[in-house]
Amino acid sequence: MTATALSAEGVVTRRGRRGETALRVLRRPTAALAAIVVFLIVAGAIAAPLIAPYPPTQFDYAHLFAAPSWSHPFGTDELGRDLITRVLYGGRTSLEMAALATVIAMVFGSIWGFAAAFKKGWVGEVLMRIADLTLGMPVILLGLVLVAAFGSSIFSLVVILGILFSPATARLARSALLSELEADYYLAATSVGAPPWRIVVEQLLPNTMPVLLARGSIVAADAIFIEASLSFLGLGVQPPKASWGTLLHVGYADLYSSYWYPLFPGLVIVIAVLSLNTLGDNLQRALDPSRR
Amino acid sequence: MAIYVLRRVVTSIGLLILSSVLIFVVLRLIPGDPTITKLGGGMTAIDPRAFQALRHQLGLDRSLTHQYLTWIGGVVHGDFGQSYFSQFPVTELIKERAGSTLELATAALIIGLLFSVPAAALGAIWRNRYFDALLSGFTAVGMSTPAFVNGLVLIVIFGVKLKLLPTQGYVSFENHPLESVKGVILPAVTLAIAIAAPILLILRSSLADVASAPYIRTAQGKGLLRHQVVLRHVLPNATIPALTMIGVIIGSLLGGSVIVEYVFARPGLGSLMVDAIYQRDYAVLQTLVLLAAGVFIISSLIVDLLYGVLDPRLRVRGHEA
Repeated sequence: MTATALSAEGVVTRRGRRGETALRVLRRPTAALAAIVVFLIVAGAIAAPLIAPYPPTQFDYAHLFAAPSWSHPFGTDELGRDLITRVLYGGRTSLEMAALATVIAMVFGSIWGFAAAFKKGWVGEVLMRIADLTLGMPVILLGLVLVAAFGSSIFSLVVILGILFSPATARLARSALLSELEADYYLAATSVGAPPWRIVVEQLLPNTMPVLLARGSIVAADAIFIEASLSFLGLGVQPPKASWGTLLHVGYADLYSSYWYPLFPGLVIVIAVLSLNTLGDNLQRALDPSRR
Repeated sequence: MAIYVLRRVVTSIGLLILSSVLIFVVLRLIPGDPTITKLGGGMTAIDPRAFQALRHQLGLDRSLTHQYLTWIGGVVHGDFGQSYFSQFPVTELIKERAGSTLELATAALIIGLLFSVPAAALGAIWRNRYFDALLSGFTAVGMSTPAFVNGLVLIVIFGVKLKLLPTQGYVSFENHPLESVKGVILPAVTLAIAIAAPILLILRSSLADVASAPYIRTAQGKGLLRHQVVLRHVLPNATIPALTMIGVIIGSLLGGSVIVEYVFARPGLGSLMVDAIYQRDYAVLQTLVLLAAGVFIISSLIVDLLYGVLDPRLRVRGHEA
């Protein structure tokens, strides 16, 4: 009885402390700013139908490739569509894909890493070797090969992005779990005979969650980055559907006559990636004392 | 030491074979037949006899194992087969494009190093709060900015507005040295920004690690000036751990050149790869990817072996193991 009580208490204090550190990060001005920007971008994409100044498919043949002005802050595109509207709607595509890919990478990567941590022998070794192998290769090249093989429908792009960022998550999940397995509360829980799945669900998962969530922020940034790169090359999201990268791809064709067309989506990509990276980086540093 | 070297070489060869199999298998998953694009499929009905003849000529009617062995057998002899689309030998296509990419990558590496190494050293010597913040800011923004955004901004400033530098195409160095150098400046700077950010990040953290080592305190205790300590003791020692990242940097050069070549319309290996994907030309694609993997694996092998030469402590450990 004492042992379970002890373990429960251990969980509460550990989780409580980590949750607090994660929140305290927001007191740092850079982290707070990053969080606000991420919130604004996500909110802008969700609320696109409400706040966009024009309908996304409203053509205006009198104003093709219009320069930025008060009525069209980002200018208009080759069919006279308002670009700030298209960027807001493009954000829905980009962020949706990034969010789904992040979920896939986190779930798949965590299972992968947890399996490697639990099965120490050659199984774990092989699992980690595979992760190491893919980690070294430039992500964009792997992405190009996978797109060549599986096509560039939204569905396959999301799965491809999820697969691309799984190995890094697996590494992190493994090391996070290994340090939990050494903690006293784990020993206590196993010694009172708690079933392994219960320890995982009730204790190990909640305890490794903050570290994994911090990582998730960075994976989302990477996913936006790589999706934009593939779409820019014309191998990602295909028109008429448009992510930020697709807008860049189409706008690039008219770079020399109307440079603002690709420039604004590009700027939005940088801001989104930078703020997600900054947020994730600050969270990771706060949660991992060795990196402070 | 000999055993260590042998083991690393054998693992690298194993990795190369494994990657070749993986690349081959993954690319066979491409839906549709590459010959259909070649024969103008989609637009007109394809003559079934021409279809069969082309498949036979390209060896696509053989078994996968047979196709793989033919490909690898050729690769070993430096023959990469024939493009499914243009029917040119892949070796020739690569030779034609390699010069442009090599020029771009070399220039980018030089610019990147000329910027990041002095910047990191200056940061360690000067230890100014604001300068450090500036460097951190550069790394954060540099790592979050896709190469195509940097490239677009540079094109707009130097090509569209100032009209100072060419922004499109490639001129070979042998024919027009000056034009060639002018043409590579903007693409190389774009690629250099992409690699300078991670180099700076690694180098600065490595510098910070070394700066707290006991022998550095000894050097300071002897009364050496800060810049002497940094340049003579900290920097050389900090470079060794940073060397392991060369593999990653070469990787970013390869990956980055795909994007940069597309932005600046340079005919190089990266744009060849993008074209190959568009045309479903997996004879070209598999070779380019294998080449990238090969460059990557071999450069990490060389770095690992060099590491042993540069850091005697590792040699001893390698010996024991």
